[in-house]
Amino acid sequence: MSKPADPGTADPALAVRLDGITKRFGEVVALHEVSLQVQRGELMTLLGPSGCGKTTLLNLVAGFLVPDAGEIAIDGVRVTDLPTYRREIGMTFQNYALFPHMSVERNVGFGLRMQGVPASQITPRVARALKLVQLVQQEHKLPGQLSGGQQQRVAIARAIVIEPPLVLMDEPLSNLDAKLRIETRAEIRRIHRELDRATIYVTHDQDEALSLADRIVVMKDGVVQQIAAPPEVYAQPANLEVARFMGYRNVLELGVDAEHDGRVTLSGSEIRLTGVRKQALPGARACVAIRPEELVMGDGPGGLNTIVGRVENVEYCGRDSLIDIVTASGVLLHARAARPAALGDEVRVHVPVERALVYPSDAARA
Amino acid sequence: MTPRPFLRTFVSPAVLCAVGLVAALAAVLQYSLRAYVPGALEPGGFTLANFASLAKPLYARVFLDTVWICFVTAFVALVVGYPLAYALVRARSAALKAMILVIAVTPLFLGEVVRTYSWIVVLGNNGFVNAMLLKLGLIGEPLQLMFTRFGVVTALVHVTLPVMVIMLAAALAHVDRDCERAAASLGAGPIRTFLTVTLPLSMPGIVAGVTTAFAWTFSAFATPQLIGGGQVNMVSNLVYQLGFASFNFPFAASLSVAGLALTFAVLALLRAAARPLEQIGPH
Amino acid sequence: MTRLPARRLLRLFGALVVAAILGFLLLPAIVVALAAFNGRAILSFPPDTWSVRWFVKALAYEDFRAGFRNGLIVTAWASAIALVVGAAFAFVLDRYEFRFKRTLETVLLSPLVIAHFTVGLGFLILAAQLGVARGYAVVIVCHVVLVLPFVLRSVYVSLRNLDRRFELAAASLGAPPGRVLATITLPLLLPGLVSGWLFAAILSFNEFTASLFVTAQRTQTLPVAMYNYVREYADPSMAAISVVYFVATAALLTFATVFLGLGKVLNVEQAR
Repeated sequence: MSKPADPGTADPALAVRLDGITKRFGEVVALHEVSLQVQRGELMTLLGPSGCGKTTLLNLVAGFLVPDAGEIAIDGVRVTDLPTYRREIGMTFQNYALFPHMSVERNVGFGLRMQGVPASQITPRVARALKLVQLVQQEHKLPGQLSGGQQQRVAIARAIVIEPPLVLMDEPLSNLDAKLRIETRAEIRRIHRELDRATIYVTHDQDEALSLADRIVVMKDGVVQQIAAPPEVYAQPANLEVARFMGYRNVLELGVDAEHDGRVTLSGSEIRLTGVRKQALPGARACVAIRPEELVMGDGPGGLNTIVGRVENVEYCGRDSLIDIVTASGVLLHARAARPAALGDEVRVHVPVERALVYPSDAARA
Repeated sequence: MTPRPFLRTFVSPAVLCAVGLVAALAAVLQYSLRAYVPGALEPGGFTLANFASLAKPLYARVFLDTVWICFVTAFVALVVGYPLAYALVRARSAALKAMILVIAVTPLFLGEVVRTYSWIVVLGNNGFVNAMLLKLGLIGEPLQLMFTRFGVVTALVHVTLPVMVIMLAAALAHVDRDCERAAASLGAGPIRTFLTVTLPLSMPGIVAGVTTAFAWTFSAFATPQLIGGGQVNMVSNLVYQLGFASFNFPFAASLSVAGLALTFAVLALLRAAARPLEQIGPH
Repeated sequence: MTRLPARRLLRLFGALVVAAILGFLLLPAIVVALAAFNGRAILSFPPDTWSVRWFVKALAYEDFRAGFRNGLIVTAWASAIALVVGAAFAFVLDRYEFRFKRTLETVLLSPLVIAHFTVGLGFLILAAQLGVARGYAVVIVCHVVLVLPFVLRSVYVSLRNLDRRFELAAASLGAPPGRVLATITLPLLLPGLVSGWLFAAILSFNEFTASLFVTAQRTQTLPVAMYNYVREYADPSMAAISVVYFVATAALLTFATVFLGLGKVLNVEQAR
């Protein structure tokens, strides 16, 4: 699996290149000047809440929609005006979209028949694809006779057997139950490694994105919020939107006291925090984002970044517990601790300075 | 409180209606087995003579003609109705859909007589088609469109089209659009997608439409009577003539029974041919 | 280069085909409308004089008026009975299992495939054998049997689309079956019931072939009266009546489509 050395370098051999894509549906702007580059062999996930535009973007790359502005290129070829059937893509759909009137074999072989591949070559290629997705002995069954997980494999086989330079996946796991989801996730990772084809993968599930992607594109309201490898998106979200989406449940709006060398001191509601500045802070107030698991029990070094509060709620989660803490001034915090605390207990928690991320407050944001 | 409240109350009236229908059909069957007494309205004793008469070439001809007309009508209605049903289901604008639906469905509710009469006005020697063609100088004399099979079939297609469109549209509406998108993503152009995905998946609707069209056309009376004018006779016309012109109700009854058997036979055939499609089913 | 011309051509071709078919469907109606306003008795296209005299004549013609009255009587009774019987049976069809259910359903739906002249002939003979006079009763019963399948299908489709959980919620709040039916089920089914009734009424009012067999001179419905008229006279009075018919039906159906969701009842709305 090739990791991109420097995402954003203009590489003429990109798998997919999107420049300034804008798409409107009536009054609603679904995508606003989105630009993106997918490297060969890269698995890129489009991650975001419903309505963020990720599916619209996928449909634009597939050719089901036409952009109002911007250009799309696949494998170096400009495809913006090209209809879907002329684009070299392999796609899986959320509901699999297997042809109900064709057997598994004929479903998988469909793309090869469209390409005019002779029948003698179709059979072995279909067999190889089905072996790759670990679905054998089912060639003559109809989709209606298969389970959800099996249908998913057929859908994948159908998309990859034509050996497209680009694979598109639209929330492939959302229709599977939890256990199957994890198993199939591993399958997709394995298949991607074996085939090493550029893949654009749409999901609203951050766990999927974190575990599968080479790079994640976080989107909200039609705008790209951040493009980075999973560890960076997880630990260093580019803005408050991404932070909120990636599980930074504690967002405190405080007044800015001082700023120096990237470190910001804030205070408000009887809390004093020092954190790391992630973006320019134009206003007098700013937001601090902290992950629940990084709100650690106990005092900080020298009392730094320490907050005192009372335990209001405890949710036992097995390997740890979610603890809701309320400060004297009424601020609600969420923490995760290895040992559950008792309701009503007074606790002291702290956050390391590097893990208190400071962003401009919503009101001041442009 | 019984576990099935209302069952008896709700089923009894339906049972009564069913009994009435069965009684009516039994009456027809019974009469078909009675002898015709000329000059009297009461039939004679039991006999199979009526059915024997059916074998006569004159009557066999009428049956064959009827079947032929029904199939041609159903087929033409299918070919003409499919594009309309497709447009109805796939049109983007709600206003266009409503317009197509109303235009397509309204003829269904006009009644046979009004529709047939309007075709007389279109097809007659003084009618619209001839008047236009004469005015445009394309023909020297009026074309004989009335009293021909062509005229009857055209009017019958017009009558059957709404039903066909409704059945086809219902099936098309349930074709998974994602399957069509999948086909496109695999390299199938619009026409190939239609032939390999849309058309096969709408087959249940096609079968239902053709079946219904056949049955409805068989039932047609006013159209062949008024436009056929005695030159084109279907079973329905013959039954009426025998009943009300000759008062030979027994023979009319036997024609009806034979017609019924024929309809059921054709329907069973069509249904058997459609059996392999059952596997697809709705998803 | 912009959009592939082949796609544009395909779209254009499709639009032309659809327009042509719609034209075919509308042609008789337009032609008849032209004929109805024709000033002369002999049909000509286009008419050289315009007049509404045929409308006046048609609306004053006694046979048409009697036919209209008879038609209303028959239709009112037949559609009401068919609605009640059909809705009740559709309910039972949807919810319960019992012996002979499928048989009963098949029998009641059979008029969809049985020729109307056979049904008409059957009721004619039955009435004669039972000694029943050829009055409204026979016609009404015949019509009920013929339109019942449509009511059944319409109400059944509505029932299938009804979320049972509303009824379950009402029951869990203490409503006995009768109250649930009256306060929850029926109001939610109303569009389907009205559509079904509308279908039944229009089909009954326009029913011709079976009526030709079972009606007598004094009970003759409007279609039968119109048929008899066409066989004897060639003037445009028929055209005038047809126009009235067409306008009334189209208006009724537009109303049904817009307010009741005819498309849904006919099951022609796109699922996704």
